[in-house]
Parts: sequence; C-alpha cells; structure tokens
Amino acid sequence: MWAALTAVVFAWLGTRIWHERLPDHATDRMVGAAAAGLLVGRLVAMLLQGMNPLTNPADILIVRGGVHTGTATVAALGSYLWAANWKVAYLDATAPAALMGLAGWHTGCLWRGACLGTESSLPWAWAQSGSLITRHPVELYAAIGLILGAWVVSRLSWRILTRAGVALALAGLVRLLTEPMRPSITGGPVGWYLAAIAFGLAAAWAGRRLLTNLDPPT
Amino acid sequence: MWKPSRLLLSTLALAVILAACGAGAANTDTPGEDLPVTSADHFESHLADIDKPAIVNVWASWCLPCRAEAPLLEQAFQTYGSEVEFIGIDVQDNQPDARAFLAEFGLDFDHFFDKNREIANHYAGLGTPITFFFGPGGELITTHNGVIDERTLALNIDELMNLS
Repeated sequence: MWAALTAVVFAWLGTRIWHERLPDHATDRMVGAAAAGLLVGRLVAMLLQGMNPLTNPADILIVRGGVHTGTATVAALGSYLWAANWKVAYLDATAPAALMGLAGWHTGCLWRGACLGTESSLPWAWAQSGSLITRHPVELYAAIGLILGAWVVSRLSWRILTRAGVALALAGLVRLLTEPMRPSITGGPVGWYLAAIAFGLAAAWAGRRLLTNLDPPT
Repeated sequence: MWKPSRLLLSTLALAVILAACGAGAANTDTPGEDLPVTSADHFESHLADIDKPAIVNVWASWCLPCRAEAPLLEQAFQTYGSEVEFIGIDVQDNQPDARAFLAEFGLDFDHFFDKNREIANHYAGLGTPITFFFGPGGELITTHNGVIDERTLALNIDELMNLS
C-alpha cells in the first residue's frame, strides 16, 4: 500500500515537472490504468496458480499471491490508451511521469524493508536487521535509474511514439541491468524485460519512420 | 474522453472469461502415506539434530496463498536442497487433502502433520502460510508471515547459507 501511494506521489510530481502537452486529468488516467493493470495481472496470477477468481473473489482484492507483471503492464498500457480514446500521442505526453511513478514504486521498498539485493562492500551498502552482511540497495538503484530515464525522455523530440517507446525501453533496461543484483531463484522475468526493450525501440522507430503524418498532442 | 463505465464493464467481462478458464483441484482419493504427526517438542528436537540451515514452511491444503507459493518453494528446494533443509508443516488440515495438495504441487521434501498448529504457535508465527528460517542446530533466525515472494525467499536463503 505504501509503495502504491509513493508511486502515485511520484507520478503526480512527474506531471508537475513535465506538464507540457499533458491530457486533462493525467494523474487520474495513469492511476486508473495502473489499477486496471493490477486487476488483470492479479487475475492472471490467480489462474496460473490454479485459483478460481469467481469462487474466491476476496483473493482478487487481498493480493496475497502476487501479480503477473507482464500482463499487468500490457493491460495498464492498453487501458490508458483506451481511456485516452486511442490518442497514441498522449502516451508520449505522460511517459516521463509514468517513469517517475515506477521510480516511486521502487522507493516503496523503504517502507517494506525490501530494498536489499546481493552482497556488496560498497560504502553505501547496508545490512538487513540482525545481519552482518551488507548488500546493494538494488531497488533504490532502479529508482534512480528510472528518474534519470524520465529526465532523458523529457528531453526527446515530440515525434509520435518516440518518448513513449524510449520510456518503455528504458524501464525494461533499468530492470534488466539491476536484475543480477536481486537475489533470485528463477532468474527473474528477464524475457519480459527484453520484450519491453525490443517493443519500445520498435515503437519509437515506427513512430519516427511510419507515423510522421500524425500530430503530437497540443 | 475518460469513460469509467466502459472500463468497468470490460474488466468485469475479462474477469468472468478468465475465471471460466480457472479450475481448482480437489482429490480426496490421492494414494500415498499419511504425513507423520508431530508435536512442538518433537519438532524442536528434530531441528536441533539438523547440522545445516533449515527452512520450515507452514501450509494447509485449504490455504489459497499456500498454492501461490508452493511452486516457488519446490523450485527453491530443487536449487538449494543440498545446502538447506526444507520442511513442510501441514496445519489445521486432514490427511487426504494434504496428500492431494502435495501430489498437485510435487513438493518433494519432508512434511509433518500438525493439526492443532502447535509448531507455528510455538515459534510465534501468525496465520497461514508462514516461513521460518532456522540456522544450523535449530536457532530461529527470522520469520516471514504470509505468502513469500521469490526475492524475500532468495535473500533469506542467502543469509542462511552465509551462517553455515
């Protein structure tokens, strides 16, 4: 809950910092899309775990079994576009703020005590309570990477899908680069990160090459 | 223009479609031996005899979050089973449902039956599931109440392996 609230605050800050050409009620639209994404991601996670959402409706809301990240992301992007009446350019307008929201989500680890990753002796590494092993604060690395990404995206030109595509690719890249520092059993959803990078770059390329007749939002 | 009614209808429709695809499994005729019944005292002495770290997972066949974490625990056992002892404690359950649960998820490590959840209460665990992390010789290092995610499990396994 604290991670979600922090994400909303960061996304709102993003819309204040980079307010150029934003649609009306940009923060509301982003929060609505995130909620729709979480719902779909939760339903997919339940089904993959062999749970029936109809017979266990409380477990849809009481998120005790996790959310399927990949489908949640796709659903959030889809519902955002739908809410924007398929004005693809609004993705570009909100891309920096969306990256800020993701950064906020990662800083939510501070409230949950879940920032730490693999061992490190770097000066800023710290140990979890009761342990002598110091570790990378990997979730804070990801947050810093996403904030830097938001700034980079805000500097890009206003070609259609350029900012949105690069933002998606950067979000995937930041997760991919920090993944080796996360303790893991399965290796993490690296395939989804690679897909985000590939799809984001392809969208940015297509926007610059194929969709030049569409106007950016004004 | 923002149209919440369309969004709501679509997400509900999607929920129904997805739910129709879901199926819960219940099999009270699963063959196999009953899980050994244990008490808190017996379990504590059992842990004291283990010379490597131990992860003790408290579960039940009726517990939906336990279903969510079961595949992860099996994967962790396959990866770290030679360095860390994995033990399951089935609580407030019955033997046929417990056997069906284990067969469904293929949890291939030792399990005990603790109908009155004596062990979980002994170590001050809350709710179900719970994952206890013990050092060699049975010293309780940390407790995770609720469903455990991959990162938390991996981090605590890493901490345990640095103890031994």
